[in-house]
Amino acid sequence: MRNALPVVLSELQLDALTELVNLGVSNAALSLREMVREEVVLSVPKVAVVTREAAIASLGEHESSRLVAVQQDFEGAIRGRALLIFPEAKSMELVRAVVGGDLSLEEIMELEQEALAETGNVLLNGCLGTIANSLERTLRISLPEVVHGEGSDLFALAPAHAGDGVLFIYINFAVKRRAIGGYIAMLLDLPSLVALQDLLSAFILRSTGVMAALSHAEL
Amino acid sequence: MPSYDGQSDPTLLNAINGGLIVLDANERVLQWNVWLEVASGLAQAQVRGKTLTEIFPAANLRRLTYAVPAALKSSASTILTHSLNPALLPLHTRAGRPLLHDITVSPLAGPPQPTCLVFITDVTMATRRERYLRDQQNARYDAVVGSAPDVILTIDEAGVIQLANPAAIAQFGYGNSELVGMTAAALFETGDEWNEVCTKAFEGGAPSRPELLAVRKDGSRTHLEASASRWTSGTRNFVTVILRDVNERRAKNAALRTSEEEARDVAAALAELNENLEQRVQERTGQLMKAEEALRQSQKMESIGNLTGGIAHDFNNLLQVIGGNLALLRRDVLGNAAAEQRVRNAHDAVRRSAKLSSQLLAFARRQTLDPKVINLGRFLHELEDMIRKAVGEGVTVETATAPGIWNTLIDPGNVENAILNLAINARDAMDGQGLLRIQASNTFLDSDYVLANEEAIRGEYVLLAISDTGSGMTPEVIAQAFEPFFTTKEEGKGTGLGLSMVYGFVKQSGGHIRIDSVPGQGTTIKLYLPRSTQTEERLVNLDSMPVEGGTEMVLVAEDDEQVRETVVAMLSDLGYRVIKAKDAQSALVIIESGMPVDLLFTDVIMPGPLKSTELANKARERIPNLGVLFTSGYTEDAMATSGRLDANIELLKKPYARETLARKVRHVLGNAAQRKSARAISRSAPASAAAAVAAPKRLHVLVCEDDPLIRETLIEVLRSAGHEATPAADGRTALSILASKSPDVLLTDVGLPDMSGTALAHQARTRIPGLAIVFASGAAVNAVLPGSRAVRTLTKPFSFESLLATIDAIATE
Repeated sequence: MRNALPVVLSELQLDALTELVNLGVSNAALSLREMVREEVVLSVPKVAVVTREAAIASLGEHESSRLVAVQQDFEGAIRGRALLIFPEAKSMELVRAVVGGDLSLEEIMELEQEALAETGNVLLNGCLGTIANSLERTLRISLPEVVHGEGSDLFALAPAHAGDGVLFIYINFAVKRRAIGGYIAMLLDLPSLVALQDLLSAFILRSTGVMAALSHAEL
Repeated sequence: MPSYDGQSDPTLLNAINGGLIVLDANERVLQWNVWLEVASGLAQAQVRGKTLTEIFPAANLRRLTYAVPAALKSSASTILTHSLNPALLPLHTRAGRPLLHDITVSPLAGPPQPTCLVFITDVTMATRRERYLRDQQNARYDAVVGSAPDVILTIDEAGVIQLANPAAIAQFGYGNSELVGMTAAALFETGDEWNEVCTKAFEGGAPSRPELLAVRKDGSRTHLEASASRWTSGTRNFVTVILRDVNERRAKNAALRTSEEEARDVAAALAELNENLEQRVQERTGQLMKAEEALRQSQKMESIGNLTGGIAHDFNNLLQVIGGNLALLRRDVLGNAAAEQRVRNAHDAVRRSAKLSSQLLAFARRQTLDPKVINLGRFLHELEDMIRKAVGEGVTVETATAPGIWNTLIDPGNVENAILNLAINARDAMDGQGLLRIQASNTFLDSDYVLANEEAIRGEYVLLAISDTGSGMTPEVIAQAFEPFFTTKEEGKGTGLGLSMVYGFVKQSGGHIRIDSVPGQGTTIKLYLPRSTQTEERLVNLDSMPVEGGTEMVLVAEDDEQVRETVVAMLSDLGYRVIKAKDAQSALVIIESGMPVDLLFTDVIMPGPLKSTELANKARERIPNLGVLFTSGYTEDAMATSGRLDANIELLKKPYARETLARKVRHVLGNAAQRKSARAISRSAPASAAAAVAAPKRLHVLVCEDDPLIRETLIEVLRSAGHEATPAADGRTALSILASKSPDVLLTDVGLPDMSGTALAHQARTRIPGLAIVFASGAAVNAVLPGSRAVRTLTKPFSFESLLATIDAIATE
């Protein structure tokens, strides 16, 4: 049972969610532009709702090396933990893009924590904030924290209330000709997943006047 | 979330060690704590109700402006670290230094009246510590990595370059930003080798030092030796690789191998050389013998020359006595027809002997040469007709001149003589029927030639080759061909002196002569005449000029009646008033009688107690400015034995053409007049100097004049007029002065002892194109010179006023 998805979003809901995430990410890009003096291209090719195990497995498949993540907790209509995840190897490139390329390796590593924290902060705020606003709800979002580790480590650090559902967002950002591929994962508990569904339906109704088919996965 | 109304107990707010701002839904200040009042210098009362942008209009708040609405509208918290957002707010510590701060923005109260909290923390101390550590690190880094000559690369576990030192940039040709972020394997010819190195290093295995072939940005290859080691920073693993340039080491090894090979080759060559030794010794001996033979030959010629010259010299003296006495005897036997005839016969014989002895002198290289710079090609061309007439119709004459033929410094009369002599010899060898070819070309006698021909001197020559299709000469004949009186012709045909004269003349001119012949086929006589780099003296020009005469009085002293009559006729024809004398004594009588003679024209050799030179001296005592022109067929008294004309003695060589006579007479008369006015100047010089008009501009004049009195006077005149004047007695001196100093004007006589004035002017203008030229001449000068500056002429005799006027005109042009 643990392997089955607790809540299944309909296609329409998933589309709506993708749209929201895209919106959030492009808002974030603007703010990110302030940090990175170069053009930042953010795109979200895929959004999926998966189990925690599936998420960890996916991470393990695509990324053979160690990971670094920026996490922010949120509470309100839905609650959970948002993670911006990418390969540790790429993090240095991201840091360089943010702080400028002429610093020594040591300096880069020193500033890594702050740079990742702030970059993650901007991206996650943008995403979460836009989702919340569109769903007409308020979320209190914490300050960012940087963590290193394997996929399982990152998800294992989730607070007690984090559920089994993972809203898995594949995100591509390209900075200075270098493509840095990463993920945003939102860990949600069961009530939050349900609440999310409802909020999405309401949003769809508001936007398109279409009733979304609700489906509840069998528990 | 309880709403914040801004009226809670401020004690807590003001006790906190950090800045606190509470902003309302419109981003306006509700609360501003004491810490912030101190740090910003702004009291709460000043800032309440304003937005941050209004409070800090000059600050660039950047992401802070996004963070506040994000907190108010989206309840999102934002962190703005000092490292990435330096000096967002203008805050200062109590000590007045900039307060480095982190800022966080968090939501406070939710809707409908959202508020947010801006919290400011002082990180100055921490930052300073970081900076100190960083500086230390940088110093250490620079000391080692930055200045290391070897390439140092740090790569992460993905194989991406994270660090590249300056040596890496220099070695690979990429910029720092290109290297950092690049997959290191891309720098190497075969990525596999490199990857192996890295993998081993990351595993912490035993170190190896493989040689790798690296590829630079420009595509060139370089050999590097790699040593890698792993290190960890936090949770990360890195590998630092040091790459040493081993190109030199490899080159040295390769060179070592090459020199070993070379050593083997040398040993092989040496062995071969030893084998050939005997053969080469034989060759060398042969060469030596040939050289010795050539030396013997030249020594032989030398001694014959000395002998001949000595005899001819003594012979000439005796001839003079005989000839002189015969001339006197003729007077004594006047009226006795038979006796007169005998005397005439004897005199003829003397004349022929004199000619003979002059030819011998030519062989002995003791004749007087008057060399000029001529172009042999042109010379040959002009001579063609005469040659054709000399050899007759049965001989076809071909002349050819190579293009760009060099000039040569040679006595033209003697060259003419030589060519004619050789042409006639060729005709005789061909029995009047055949081909005579005369060719002129540039050539170089090199060291090898000189070694084989002792007498030759290495250098550049103009080769004059005269070839015939005659009977040719055997080697034995060739060996003796140049000796005087040696002839293969029948008794009575030819004196046997022709070739010896040519030989002597060529050698006296610094050249070389050889005979190449094949019996039955023909002979080539080769004359090597030394190259002259001077410009050709335009003899033609001078000759083609109109012949100028004059009205002066000329006293002709010549014992030979025919000669005398001829000269008198020529001079009268030129317009001169002529008085004749048979000898020196009678000439002196005429002068002492008070006749206003302007020019004494006298043969050098005349009978009588008074010698012609004594006559000249005595005559000059009587008439100080008397021009004196000697004439002679050969030189003896008053001439230097070097064979060149002494300066200051004007000599007209017999035989002379009318034009030559006219020119020479004018020249001497011009000089004489000049000397006359010079004397006048020198006597009245002080007065004249006082009356002299100050020169508008001071010029440096180089005065080239062989007559010392004229020269010194010119110098005197120029200096007293305020100009600088440098004397030169001949062309060569003038040229050497031109090389070291830069005069403004060259004032030169046309006839100089070592070259013509025009030739001097030509060379001077080549060196200094802007040099002003003034010719001093008895006749008008027709010269084409390089440079566009006009050339002036002062006709002798010229007054000192006209000289200074000319100089002034040059100064103002």
